[in-house]
Amino acid sequence: MTPLERITQLAQTKPCYGEIPTYYLYTFGIAGERFFREIKDNAKIFGTRCPKCNLIYVPPKIYCERCFAGLEEWLEVGTTGTVHTYTIGYVDLDGSPLEEPIILAMVAIDGAYGGLVHRLGEVKPEEVRIDLKVEAVFKDQAERSGSILDIRYFKPRQK
Amino acid sequence: MQIEKFPGVMLREADVEQGRVLTTQWQPNLKYGWDAGIAIGRFLSELKQGRIVGTKCHKCHRIAVPPRIFCEWCFKPFDGWVYLKDTGVVNTFSISYIAWDASRLEVPSIPAVIEIDGASHGMGILHLLGEIEPDPAKINIGMRVKAVWKPPQEREGAITDIKYFKPLEEGRR
Repeated sequence: MTPLERITQLAQTKPCYGEIPTYYLYTFGIAGERFFREIKDNAKIFGTRCPKCNLIYVPPKIYCERCFAGLEEWLEVGTTGTVHTYTIGYVDLDGSPLEEPIILAMVAIDGAYGGLVHRLGEVKPEEVRIDLKVEAVFKDQAERSGSILDIRYFKPRQK
Repeated sequence: MQIEKFPGVMLREADVEQGRVLTTQWQPNLKYGWDAGIAIGRFLSELKQGRIVGTKCHKCHRIAVPPRIFCEWCFKPFDGWVYLKDTGVVNTFSISYIAWDASRLEVPSIPAVIEIDGASHGMGILHLLGEIEPDPAKINIGMRVKAVWKPPQEREGAITDIKYFKPLEEGRR
């Protein structure tokens, strides 16, 4: 019997079990606070504009990432966009199979620089394509809590 | 240039509690199962039987405890298992007034490294001393100690199957 023998059966293992209690609470910051407040209270998507670079940032930033200027001009950008890229998920956070696959997409908001990573809804996975025109579907005001999930999903725009 | 005023406002607990600022929160479910491996796995299983086991190297003639599968001196696998006594010598100790989570202990604990009898010099395990006052004047490096085991039915194959090491009657070495 040498220490080099191999464990070949799970029952031979001697696992130690444990749990790491962790919890976090994260505030959104100056730009995020206003961005999510507009979503929660008014169902509107806001961005910030850099007048020098003529870019509208969505989600909003308080500094221009190109010229480093402080940004103070807030404007509503509407709730429409196009699918920049997407993927279809068949498992949940734990890796368990989902009954219905979810479609995750990077939605480029119309007129803005940047976009939101979100879900697509009211569309079948096989119907999704890049450049699909979509619009945000918000939850009812009473259900909105100041989260990105206050937007239920993005759905294809009617032509 | 000294920044005199940072943008934004300081947040207080009440701002969060009363919903004046938006937050996102998450409690990750961080569970783990960690396999102790061949050497420590057997070490723990033997503790359940009330025995301390080490590994020996035929080349450098060392006996290691806790056991490992690889001799770090000779860069070769250890050659076999060897049972050791449950007595030993205090190599070093400390007196701790707080628990692992920094909460205060009513009775201080005495973590100590015990060199196990039968293992090579300097080989030992980290454990606790008991049945002795947590008084630096009464604990000595080099004092002989013996394991106090949990009753067999309470053992679970963990280092805590030894409750603590208590001073041996003979006194100091």
